[in-house]
Amino acid sequence: MQPQSRSLRSGFLRSLERFPERPALQLANEILSYRQLFARASRLASTLSRHAAAAEPALTGVFAHRSVTAYAAVLAGLLRGHGYVPFNPNFPTDRTRSMLVRSDCRSVIVDAHGARQLAEVLAGAGNGLLLLLPEQDDVTALAAHWPQHRFLGARDLLDAGPPARAEIDPGGIAYLLFTSGSTGQPKGVMVAHRNVTHFVDAMVERYAVTEHDRFSQTFDLTFDLSAFDMFVAWERGACLCCPTQSQKLFPGRYIADCGITIWFSVPSTAVLMGRLHMLKPGKYPGLRYSLFCGEALPVEVMRTWGAAAPNSILENLYGPTELTIACTLYRWDPARSPGESEQGVVPIGEAYPGMRILVTDERQEEVAIGEVGELLMTGPQLTPGYYRDPGRTAAAFVTPPGHGEVYYRTGDRVRRPRPGQPLVYLGRVDNQIKIQGYRVELGEIEAILRQEAGVEVAVAIGWPVTASGADGIVGFLGTEAADTEAIRRRVISRLPPYMHPSEIRLVGEWPLNANGKIDRKALRATLSVDNRTQR
Amino acid sequence: MQELEVRGKLRDWIAKHAKKPLTAEFGDETPVLELGILSSLDVVEFVLFIEDLRGGDVDADDIGPDAFTNINTLYSAFFARS
Repeated sequence: MQPQSRSLRSGFLRSLERFPERPALQLANEILSYRQLFARASRLASTLSRHAAAAEPALTGVFAHRSVTAYAAVLAGLLRGHGYVPFNPNFPTDRTRSMLVRSDCRSVIVDAHGARQLAEVLAGAGNGLLLLLPEQDDVTALAAHWPQHRFLGARDLLDAGPPARAEIDPGGIAYLLFTSGSTGQPKGVMVAHRNVTHFVDAMVERYAVTEHDRFSQTFDLTFDLSAFDMFVAWERGACLCCPTQSQKLFPGRYIADCGITIWFSVPSTAVLMGRLHMLKPGKYPGLRYSLFCGEALPVEVMRTWGAAAPNSILENLYGPTELTIACTLYRWDPARSPGESEQGVVPIGEAYPGMRILVTDERQEEVAIGEVGELLMTGPQLTPGYYRDPGRTAAAFVTPPGHGEVYYRTGDRVRRPRPGQPLVYLGRVDNQIKIQGYRVELGEIEAILRQEAGVEVAVAIGWPVTASGADGIVGFLGTEAADTEAIRRRVISRLPPYMHPSEIRLVGEWPLNANGKIDRKALRATLSVDNRTQR
Repeated sequence: MQELEVRGKLRDWIAKHAKKPLTAEFGDETPVLELGILSSLDVVEFVLFIEDLRGGDVDADDIGPDAFTNINTLYSAFFARS
């Protein structure tokens, strides 16, 4: 057999040969072996390939959510030699339609979740789509209603073919993911096969993944961290355990019932679990690794999680989609780490193997050691840029003066570390606002709010908004009850006047965005709706 | 607090937080999670509410899909035995 160039499907196909009968996917009461999941994916792939138009972009859409079809569809895209493009049935249909149109993908696999929204998405989505609904026997009504598209159902599925053999360009798109752009227009991040295989290699080695591991899947497919769970698990014959809706509500039970060994979530999930008393000491002895990514990780979360998962190594991962899932990491050490943390937030550590860091000022000149600047990174995980968007690609993927290669501007602020010291995340560049002309880092106010209120999460918003920034600050605390006036007095005593919160509000329930992160825009919207309160 | 009163308060809380309007058939056996009436954030708030109502922490081991199936299961998990 000829060795193939590595691509995102290679790991799954190798595990299919080595561990055909081991579980690849567990979802609700269904467990699929590598052989069974491959058969499902292969049928979808050969069916689409038979019916697809000759000239289509090498992208297969996946309009599905937490179903066997969703994962089979991801693999089917890869088996066709395509990249996959996830669409989320829980997103507003306007957003999904816009992503579908912008991706220009012609073949889409749709599960029952997606099917319920299909009519709304298709209205105004152009012509000539090939839609495969493998969970639906009869698609004649759809076909009659939408003559401009072609529909295939369960009856049209072809038999599974042999594992794909066609060569794949390692520089081709493995997945196309839309992230929210500051202008409101989502950006499609192209992630190449060679980006992800480099990432996966680093991960399986670091975590010594084996066929006995069981991975959580707290992330939806539209959040790129989901790719870690899938492809790191499948690289070594491990099992991906996708929680059902009710399992997602009770993560503690899900970890225990599914025998999770490698946990990966946003820190907010851990905060929720703490509030549900799900982080009692010794509760999760089976966890080998607990990984967090996607938001600033509070030190307090590490303490409680570390006690609840006594046999687990805890790591903080950091990375934008544009640098392939995660590009720096930090291992928590209960003795050393609190001293290395800043503003109550765990460091983001050091670059992944092969990745390089630059901390720069506004002109992209490197700042001195110990100084704060924007984090730029490059290396094998640097993605090719935004899909069909050279303007925004050029703005974010830059060649700093005096450097011969392209770096991605993360928009995140860090301190340039001394040798041997970890990188520390200090907030978004755009969380740095001007208040009455002073440059203010909202993260600094948030850290003091957290300390003085004794809460895990606090958010500071510049308010009211002015042309040059904001006139003042409103603080939000994640708690139901607190003496806000007393807290405000203590906070004020530690900050210069222009950083004083004019008001502190309590939030029992944080508004979260589609990826489970705190939605600052929604918080600001609550301020613009309410009449401004005095003080 | 009487059993009927507790059940009434649980029902009111669910009605107030439900993601979709409750139908006239909503009763003590209506599956609240299965219908997607409550989200994961609601569960956190709901647990705090239940703790207030019973005047003490609930056991984390009781916080699972079985207890949160409907008002009957909620009542028996958190209020019937004390």
